[in-house]
Amino acid sequence: MSIERSEPTFGRVSRLKGTVFEYLSLGASVTGIVALGVLLIYVAIDAFDLVNASPEWLLTYYVTLVLPLIGFCLYSANDRSLIRRTAFALGGGLVAMALTFSVVESFVRPIPRLTWQVAYLFVVVAPVTAYVVFVGSREPIGRTGFGLVGRVLGGTALGLSLIILFTVFDERLWFLAYTLGVLPAVGVLAYSRVNPSSPVSLLPVPVALVGFVAASVLRGPVDVYPTAWLIYVWTLVVPVSAIIAGLTAQRDGETKQTAAIAGVAAFALIGGGSLAAGSLGVSSEHALLVLLGSGVPTVMFGRRVVASDTGRVGLFLPVLLVGGALAGALIAESFGFPAPDPWLDASFVTSSPSRMPERAGLYPAIVGSVLVIAFVALLSFVLGVGSAVFLEEYTVESGVVGATTRLIQINIANLAAVPSVVYGLLGLGLFANLLGLGFGSVVTAALTLSLLILPITVISAQEAIRSVPDHLRQGSYAMGATRWQTTKNVVLPEALPGIFTGTILALGRAIGETAPLIMIGAAHTVFSPPNGIWSKISAMPMQIFVWSDFPQAEFRYGVLAAGVVTLLIVLLGMNATAIILRNKYESGV
Amino acid sequence: MTDDTSQSGIGVSRRRFISAAGGAGAVALAGCTEEETGDGDGSGAETDTGSNGGGSGLSGEINIAGSSTVFPLMSAVAEEFEREHDDVSIDISSTGSGGGFENHFCPGNTDFNNASRPIKPEEEDHCAENGVEYIELVAATDALTVVINNDNDFATEMTVEELAQIWEADAAETWNDVRDEWPDEPIDRYGADETSGTYDYFVENVQGEDRGHTDDYQATEQDNTIVQGVQGNEYAIGYFGFAYYYQNPDTVTAVAIDNGNGPVEPNLETAASGEYSPLSRQIYTYPSISSLAEEHIAEFARYFVDQTDNEQLVAEEVGYVPATQDVKQEQEDKLEDAISQAQ
Repeated sequence: MSIERSEPTFGRVSRLKGTVFEYLSLGASVTGIVALGVLLIYVAIDAFDLVNASPEWLLTYYVTLVLPLIGFCLYSANDRSLIRRTAFALGGGLVAMALTFSVVESFVRPIPRLTWQVAYLFVVVAPVTAYVVFVGSREPIGRTGFGLVGRVLGGTALGLSLIILFTVFDERLWFLAYTLGVLPAVGVLAYSRVNPSSPVSLLPVPVALVGFVAASVLRGPVDVYPTAWLIYVWTLVVPVSAIIAGLTAQRDGETKQTAAIAGVAAFALIGGGSLAAGSLGVSSEHALLVLLGSGVPTVMFGRRVVASDTGRVGLFLPVLLVGGALAGALIAESFGFPAPDPWLDASFVTSSPSRMPERAGLYPAIVGSVLVIAFVALLSFVLGVGSAVFLEEYTVESGVVGATTRLIQINIANLAAVPSVVYGLLGLGLFANLLGLGFGSVVTAALTLSLLILPITVISAQEAIRSVPDHLRQGSYAMGATRWQTTKNVVLPEALPGIFTGTILALGRAIGETAPLIMIGAAHTVFSPPNGIWSKISAMPMQIFVWSDFPQAEFRYGVLAAGVVTLLIVLLGMNATAIILRNKYESGV
Repeated sequence: MTDDTSQSGIGVSRRRFISAAGGAGAVALAGCTEEETGDGDGSGAETDTGSNGGGSGLSGEINIAGSSTVFPLMSAVAEEFEREHDDVSIDISSTGSGGGFENHFCPGNTDFNNASRPIKPEEEDHCAENGVEYIELVAATDALTVVINNDNDFATEMTVEELAQIWEADAAETWNDVRDEWPDEPIDRYGADETSGTYDYFVENVQGEDRGHTDDYQATEQDNTIVQGVQGNEYAIGYFGFAYYYQNPDTVTAVAIDNGNGPVEPNLETAASGEYSPLSRQIYTYPSISSLAEEHIAEFARYFVDQTDNEQLVAEEVGYVPATQDVKQEQEDKLEDAISQAQ
């Protein structure tokens, strides 16, 4: 292959350079991933205290939980060669990892805080499981199973975020706003749908606004309210049940009776379930919100699967997982296997920061971060889409307007490169000092972070709008549609998946930002969640930063790692939501 | 408006929706008449009686900023206070003593400012310009700790003058420049930021204002960074508050300081007796008098002073020297005066 052997024939070129280049570029592309992977493995080991997980304990859960899951995926994929490869990877990986570790430990030096079992878990089991889950979930059985699990988990997360929302905001104000603002506006909207020509069609937004103002005025004087449970039933369960009934009638083409039964059943399930939970000692308000979030999509999905023919077996996946976890716990308990004592547990995400590592929690910071990000999402979506639509659809190429547009365009591109500290200063000067929106308040933080990610959202939304084929617009115009109608009915629906992706990636950056929050005076530590949009907040990265400087080593290793993993989980949850939304819109259009 | 619903597919859902909503609304309204504000579950009003702070019903926000040295002590006290009064919401930022006065306290944005040194004249002026009045409360006593690498066995004892030579503006380049028998190796310095009260205290009490502070060092508010730097180099030196060293005595070595009476190691006893001089210092918090007019802030300030002699909390959990009875009594009197003046 090399030149030394060159013969006097034609066209022998050394491929050495090319091969070397290929492997160098491979190395370059995996360097970052491997480095990040090692870091995450160590963070996860610290957060879940896997150092203290005995091999027996790991083996128990491996057998009761992981292997059945892999088996389920393989059954769903129904592919012999995949089964062979998976078995080979799991078995071979086990031997290889054990051998590598014993060689390194006996000849080089012991690897700190990492046993070969844990390394096997992260390096072999996790990727193999991820791969078979990916393959399995593309087949009907797997799709059913993971769809169900996803709806249960996602719905529970939704319910929990509703709980957080109502701890921060006054549910009585929401009750008034819903009754006086949302409900009349929906009524007007429904009426105008039926009579499109009536002038009422312009009214929904004003009606809602008047209702909201009335609600905030009445909140003070009115002091007789329903219980929180009744408020939730009235403002959430009733509309959701009505929507379910409507969807049943409309989409599944059922009769009115069936639709009514579906609505009443949903109502009874959530209301009754929460009351039952209330009698078991759980807060019935919280049970209601969680049931609303998880129960409705789960049951709807289950009903659809049962109605269709394929992949019904997949409905057993949750049973398999819960059963596996219970069996593992039972075995580990009865044999007395030493179990790890994870830093990241339920009490970590529900309690306040503390000077004692075992009591420390992230709850107020999680609520602060989530609240700020929710506002940032809203603001940056509105502002980003607005300016992108203007720049792409409404401007002209020439003249004064054209020059202005180009100037705006260049500036937006430059703004993306401005350091976050500068945005922090802007937030401090403009929002906190000049407009008096409060130092480190939810509003100031959300506005500052929205400005920070605005260039990214604008640019990505522009890209998405630009990628809508021009012939769609022309077609719309040819049908006599106005520019507003074309934008609303053709361009935006087409561009929405791309806009979602860009916005969510930008939000991922916003949730990890610390520097601007320090500048606007957000607190390093708060002990209770914010109780409104004007109260001072802390955010997850701020609290994590504080822990990194605590004197006790438990903070810098255990608690800190648990905080980082929580932040990553929230981030991944957001990204997953984005992907689901995008896929929904892509398939829907 | 329900009468106008058409026969279309959408109409069914809408009519269902509105009639269902109306029905449920009647139920909700019926329930409403039975419920009064006081016993609505999960409401803010209910917790008034729920807090176990003697039924005081305190609520409100308390904003605190300032020294990173006082931060652990203040968070510990705040944590305990919130446990008793869960409607009071306390937030604490670690900005450095000077940063806290300049950007937060004197502009009137915070209720307390923590400081690891007394307030400076220019900060007094700044506060006066904005009409912010305050009192000074002693929070605890700290032993500013000078640390070296564990492998460093030559510089475990130093005189104050030698320390000054290492940290003054025209600082010694190598250890050898400071004392002849020390090795000819460059000194690697890690110290406090300029906004930090620790920096000010160190300059004032070790080398004196006119000799300044060297620029040739790593400046940080993070004790952890200093420890890591000192751990990484045999010829490194750093200084920070005692709490960090107290919790991690094995990671670095504390230098015994000789102020003319033989070398003294930093610990809770030598700091309390004043033997560890000139580096044992009082750390403070400054409540704003106008804030003390609010009951929950006044109560928190009382609680804070009350905790300053709590051995378990101040010494064992945080790592500072608790106040003596006399000091505590003095602070209590000062605080009560200010509160009665404010209210």
